[in-house]
Parts: sequence; C-alpha cells; structure tokens
Amino acid sequence: MNLGALEEDTFSTCCHLLLQKSEQLRDGWSWESVQGSPEGYLKKTALRSAVITSNAIWSQEGSKCNSEAHSCCQYSSDQQVSEKSVVVDEDDRGCTVPEGSSQFLQYEYHILYSCSYRTPVLYFRACTLEGRSLSLEEVWSSVHPDFQVRLRTSPLNTISQQEHPLLGQPFFMLHPCRTQEFMRPVLQVAQDQHRSLNYVVVWLSVVGPLVGLDFPQEYSTLLQ
Amino acid sequence: MASGTSEAASSATDLKLQFAPFSSALEAGFWHQLTQKKLNDYRLDESPKCIKGFYYNGDPVGLPIRLTLEYSAFDVDAPTPAHCCPALGTLYNTNTLDAFKTIDKKALLEKVAKEIWEAIQSGAAVKDPSILSKFILLTFADLKKYHFYYWFCFPALCFPEGIKLVKECSYLEQVFSAKQIESLQKVYDGLCTNKGATALPYFLMKYTEDAVQIALLEDWDTFFTDTKKVTVGIYDPCTLAQHPGWPLRNLLALLANRWGSKLDTVEVLCYRDRTLQGHRSIEHSVVFQVKLPELPSSSVCPKSVGWEKNPKGAMGPRIVNLSECMDPKRLAESSVDLNLKLMRWRLVPSLDLDKVVNTKCLLLGAGTLGCNVARTLMGWGVRHITFVDNAKISYSNPVRQPLYEFEDCLGGGKSKAIAAVDRLTKIFPGVVAEGYNMSIPMPGHPVNFSQATLSQAQKDVEQLEKLISEHDVVFLLMDTRESRWLPTVIAASKRKLVVNAALGFDTFVVMRHGLKKPAVSQSGCGAVDSSPSCSSTSSSSSTPAGSAPSVPGSSLFSNIPGHKLGCYFCNDVVAPGDSTRDRTLDQQCTVSRPGLAMIAGALAVEMMVSILQHSEGGYAVASSSDDRMNEPPTSLGLVPHQIRGFLSRFDNVLPASLAFDKCTACSPIVLDHYERERFSFLSKVFNSSHSFLEDLTGLTLLHQETQAAEIWDMSDDESI
Repeated sequence: MNLGALEEDTFSTCCHLLLQKSEQLRDGWSWESVQGSPEGYLKKTALRSAVITSNAIWSQEGSKCNSEAHSCCQYSSDQQVSEKSVVVDEDDRGCTVPEGSSQFLQYEYHILYSCSYRTPVLYFRACTLEGRSLSLEEVWSSVHPDFQVRLRTSPLNTISQQEHPLLGQPFFMLHPCRTQEFMRPVLQVAQDQHRSLNYVVVWLSVVGPLVGLDFPQEYSTLLQ
Repeated sequence: MASGTSEAASSATDLKLQFAPFSSALEAGFWHQLTQKKLNDYRLDESPKCIKGFYYNGDPVGLPIRLTLEYSAFDVDAPTPAHCCPALGTLYNTNTLDAFKTIDKKALLEKVAKEIWEAIQSGAAVKDPSILSKFILLTFADLKKYHFYYWFCFPALCFPEGIKLVKECSYLEQVFSAKQIESLQKVYDGLCTNKGATALPYFLMKYTEDAVQIALLEDWDTFFTDTKKVTVGIYDPCTLAQHPGWPLRNLLALLANRWGSKLDTVEVLCYRDRTLQGHRSIEHSVVFQVKLPELPSSSVCPKSVGWEKNPKGAMGPRIVNLSECMDPKRLAESSVDLNLKLMRWRLVPSLDLDKVVNTKCLLLGAGTLGCNVARTLMGWGVRHITFVDNAKISYSNPVRQPLYEFEDCLGGGKSKAIAAVDRLTKIFPGVVAEGYNMSIPMPGHPVNFSQATLSQAQKDVEQLEKLISEHDVVFLLMDTRESRWLPTVIAASKRKLVVNAALGFDTFVVMRHGLKKPAVSQSGCGAVDSSPSCSSTSSSSSTPAGSAPSVPGSSLFSNIPGHKLGCYFCNDVVAPGDSTRDRTLDQQCTVSRPGLAMIAGALAVEMMVSILQHSEGGYAVASSSDDRMNEPPTSLGLVPHQIRGFLSRFDNVLPASLAFDKCTACSPIVLDHYERERFSFLSKVFNSSHSFLEDLTGLTLLHQETQAAEIWDMSDDESI
C-alpha cells in the first residue's frame, strides 16, 4: 500500500466524519452531489470583509482589466438607464445601513477527490457581492500577509487556475502534486503509533489556512 | 441598557420602527448558471422564471444583511444550505437592454405585493410564511461583453403611518435569564427537528420565568389564549443592534391584518443564532415591542416598496463585468500569466516578468527558426510578436515549421508572415501579432534594375527601419547571411537589442549583437568610455585578427562589456554578398538536422530573457564558458555573448568576441555612412560587389596585409 495516498472510499468516509463534526460545530461544510452521479464534493462558503487592492503585481493587462471591472457600476452614456423612466418609490422605513469602506468578499472552498493523484484537492475562489470572481492577485491581497509569504514560499503547494471538474467553472486549485509527499510523514507517525487519523482533516488543517480557510482546532478530536 | 442611542434620546414617545433592507449577494456560480440557462434553455424566452435564494442569521457583527443566490438558484427544489432560510423569487431576464430599461418596475413590484397581500388575506401565508419573503430579480445578460445588468426587489408592504415602537430594542440577554435563553434554544432546535428543517423563518413564542414555548404561525389560535400581548420570533439575518431585518416587514402586515384588532402590543424576537469558534450563542438576539396599526381585510393592497439601491445609493440597477472570469480569451490570458508567475513564487523569486511580457519582439524570418522562436516567446508570455518574411509556405515546410499545416501549402501556399500571425492568434488569442509579407534588401542583390525596383527597395528599407524602431528586440532568423546585414546596421544605429540565430547542418550559433552606447552622450558624467561608442570601440579594442593580447595572462575575451561585443559580421573578413550564386542546392537550402532549429530557436529566446533579467540589459558583460562555475549575474544564470552548439557532440560552448573595427555591418564607419546618407548609401551596398564594403571598412587593406595568413576563425559553420 502506498502510504500518502488516499483511496476514494476512505475519502468519502473521512468527508462524512468531517461533516458530522462540522454540523456539531456549525462550521458550514456541506456535501454537494452532482445530479445523476455519485460524485460530489465538500463545500463551504464564507463571507468576510476585506480590503482588496487590484494593483496586480506584474500584469499590466491585469490591472487594466481590474480597473475596468471595478468601474462596473458606472454606466457609459449610451447605456444610461434613465432614472426618470424608473417609477420606483423610495422607502422611508428602511434604515440606512452603515457601510464601511471595506468590501465584502464571498469565499467558496470545495474539496474534491483526485483519482489521478489519489489525494483530496482544494478548489477555491472568491467573488464580490456582485458575483465577480477575483483574480489571484486580488485574492492574495485579501489574505493575511503572513500567509501570502507562506504560500508563496511553501514547497507544498502550487496554485493553478483550472476548470472545476464537476461544475465546469473557473476555480483556483492547490495542485495536489506534493500532497502525498507532505502527508506521508504524518501518516507514518500515526501508523507507527497505531493511531488512526482522518486524512482529510489533517490535510485540510495544513492547506486550508494558506488560502484563508478557517479550520477550527475542534476538528482535531476527530481523527479516526 | 446598551441600546441607548441618539434615536432614543430624541423622542421616546414617537419612535418608528425601521428595518434593515436586504443587500443582494450573488455568487460567481449564479452568473455562470444564468449564462448556461440563457444559452441552452431560455434563449429568447422572456417569461418569468422561479428562482431561489436564502438568508442566514448567524453572521458576525458588521456583515451586511444579505439575500444570497448561488449557482443552484435555478433549481427551486435544491436543498437550502443548513441553518439558512429559503426565499423564492421571480426572475425576469430580458432579451435586450432596452427591455431591461423600459420594463415597468412599479408594476412588477405591485404584482408581487398583491400576491403577498392575497396570500395574507387567504391565510395561505400563515400556512406557508415563506411567501412573505418573495423577491424579484430583473436581469439582462450581455453575453458578447459578459456584462450583466441586474436589479433586485424585496417587496415589503407598508403601513401608511409607520409602526410605533413601544419598547426599544434590547439584547435578549438583557431581557431573558440564562435559563430562559437555554430553554429557547432547546425548543427552537426541537421544533426544527420536528419539522425536518434546520431553520424556521417565523415562529410564535410564549414564556415564563422557567421555560419557553414556541410554535408555528399556523398554530396561532391554539397557541395563544390571551392575545393582549403576544411574542413572535423571526429568523433575523440582520446584525444591527437597533434594527430588525427586512423579513419582519411582511410578517407585521400579516399580523396586523389577521389579528391586529385583537392585539395590544406585539413583542418581537429577532432570533440571531451564531457560532464562533465552536461556541454557539443566541444571547445577542434582539427584542422589542411595537403597537400595530390595523390593516383591515377589506382594504386594498397597501403601498409597497423594495427595489434595491445601487452602490451609489441611487434607485437604479447594477452592472457587473464578468469578462475576466467568463470570456474564454481572458481566461486563457490569466491562466498563462498565472503559470508564469508560479516561477516567481518559489524557483526564481526575483524574476522580473514584466520586462519579458512587455517586450516587443520583431522576428525577421518566419521559417523553422521563426516558428520556434515565436512559440517559445509565447511560452514566456510575450504579447507583441511581429513577423517579417517574403516566402510562401511550401509542402516541405509544415513538418519542420510548427506554425503551419498541410492546408496552408495548397493553392501556391499562404504567405508565411500572414499565416504565422493567424496561427499564433489561434493558439493564444491574447497575443498581439502582426505579419509583413516583404523582402529585406541585401548587399550584392542589386535593386537598381528599374525605377520601380529601386523605389520598392526604398520602401522596404523604410518599412524595416520603422519596424525596428517600434520594437525592443530584433531576432535575425533568416536563411541567408546577407539578409541579416541591413537589419544589423539599422538595429545597431538605433541601439536595439539583436538576437541572432543561424543554423548549419549540425551546428548553430545563437548570439546577441553588441549594443552600442547611446550615440549622443547627454549626461555630462565622466565615464571612462563616455565618448560616442563608435570611436571608443574602435580605439580601445584591438582587432581580433591582428594583434595579440597586450596584457599577458589576461584573456582578451573575458569580461567584455555589452557595448564592446561583436555582431554577426564582426568575425568576417569578407563582406556579405550573394551567397546563393555559387552554391549547390544542398548548400543553398537550409539542410540541417531537424532538431537543430528547435534547440537554437529556444536558446535564442532564453538568451533574450536572460539579457532582460540583467540589470544592464544589452550592456551586460558577456559570460563565457569559464563563468559556468561562478556566481551567475542574473536570477536565471549566465548572459553569454554567443552560444555555439555542436549537435554531433551534443555540446555547447559560450564564446565571446569583441566588436571588430573593420566590421562590414557595425563598425563606426559603416554606421556613420548609413546615418548620414541613408538610402543612397544602402543602395550603393545593394548594388555593388563585396569590394564596396570591404574598401570602405579597410578590409581590402587588411587582406593585403595578411595575405594567405590563417585568419582567426571560430567555426562559424553556416550552410549558406
């Protein structure tokens, strides 16, 4: 048996246990199944206020696109929706909600199983409340600087942009090419001490924080 | 009491209840799914569609109250996320922006308001209170630009006089004992489990000092025996201390309409249920009391409000531009960029990709070398690539020239420069490629047959001068020696970086030309060699052919700065001429081992990238084979002058050589004549034999001096 690898049925069991704990902790993980297929994935969403800066570190193209996207609420003159034609009553009972200068970002985290790497894979994306996905540079700027450094220098992870295998939409993915490698010593220790552990939980506690995913310590009591 | 605010201070007697409106929250997947629906299902169908959103009451303080729609919004039977309340909506997706603008928003709102009002009166809303949180979404999807226009409406029935607050907002922990709170949480969870749900939008409640009881809205009559004062709970997505969330509005309308005449005061519990770090609490729920005005059944539907304000705070729609995440071309660009950026993360953190990506490359020649150079440039994310070639694609080309296919050869063959651009754009639409089907005039190939040929040559020269000016790096990738002469002269004069690649049968040379110092020294600083480079080069460098190194023990060829490096012609003691004239066919054509062009083409690009990474660019001191063990000058390693490869031995060497003061292309006298006389000088070169340039540069004299001598020669093993 290849220590470091995870079989698909073990993946399902691990996810199931993780879900139970999540329900207990109200941590928000859910299992999303794909219609007409036994396949599925763990999903969690989180909303956070964040200050994003769009000065992409090197991509000139990118910063151009970003500024375009950020001005998306502006109408160009030919697109002007005449507000006079809009007969809409203003409301006098709605309170004005104080809006800070910060933006709110919706993060989505998906855990899938990779047959070719025989490991779990973390997919993620972040979008504004309007549903615009962020570029990776924008996501970074919203992640804590310590983690930015860690992720950029971490030998464990490589990020690439990929289509979500089940949804067909663009996501970022922590590439699983090194996952077995960094899981192996952990699994080895557990094996030597005749302890069982939950592969997905251990793995997620390592990779999750790198992309801003909050993964409470309480999960550590769930290592079967 | 924690809730003492200016509001409370102003007039305690006449406080009106205000509600926190929903903000719409769309996940990226929603727009992807809408796009799919529009393209595959709806097409031109504008009829209203059922969609589903949800809201959540467990947010930390500070987050906006939201109605969220995700990709599953189009499947109204899809499960609602745990601990969230569903809200059903109607989607109006218009086919045109005009329809989006002109659709009667007031009528849409009134229609839904009427449905809600009727459901209240009929009692349907008592049985299924989710009717109270209906919403409208108006959209227009511009799928050419991937711009989405949208406007949400969360209809709310209004009390004309507002709702009087009898008792201000307090936190639950200020009103309830710990025991009551515990009991409430327990009975709430119990009722959820009972109903097979994980959240209840509305519930009824009564309590004693010891215990709390709750029930569904439909059990009103059996649950409340005394209706002087009743308590209702709402699942409240709001986090503000002083305001309930939007879902309360229509519930109050329902209460007023059905039981208003019997009610004295209504106590409202805004049930908020959050878990932080595994710790669940409802203590921060908010409680207040109101006096409900009557809304008799006979009355017409009350006034309604609910269109969402846009980010500017105006009543108007929102637009979101999703071209970056939906347009396949933009996706390709960001993926390519990301791939390159990965190099910087770990392997080469100091890599300056900007310099590479923004470099404009001119490829003279779109054959085996040109195709391979272009592909490698694209791999590096270079966006601006221009081809110059005058040939058509022939049947033998596609197997060696990876930008062409068999089809391109048919009907006489497409122009290489044009076909290469088409292919590049197909491979990567983000590229900015241009092609010029033109000839480059050459020494020894006369252009003075007629006025027409002469003016054509002049036009070609001007075009080439313009192209070289407009680009940052010039690649010499032609198949003849003499066609490299003109661009070498022009680029040297314009101080452009030149990367040259040439193939023999199983040997190649890839080199950068020496980059002359700026012609006019503008700064007054006294650099040793600050005089115009032309003279400095000739005065300070001895000719490789002539003299031996003056300092014994120091190699003449080590540490040559970029401005003193030679060009392709510097090693020659004959001027370029018509090389095709006295050659056999196998000598004329590029007969080389098929892998050679790929190797040389790739090395040419990698050399350019290494030069760009050097802080001094083209002026970088040339690395040689001896430097292989030393600390490399750039994050990517060495910056050689030349790479000479010998495929038979699978070996490369890195020689460096000085500019030759009698060079037929880059020597001061040639550049000087070119800069002063322009085309009249060039046409003399084109139209004359070797001797013109050789006389000019002094090579003729040199020949006489060194008759029959063994000339210093690197194995410049050109086939042509």
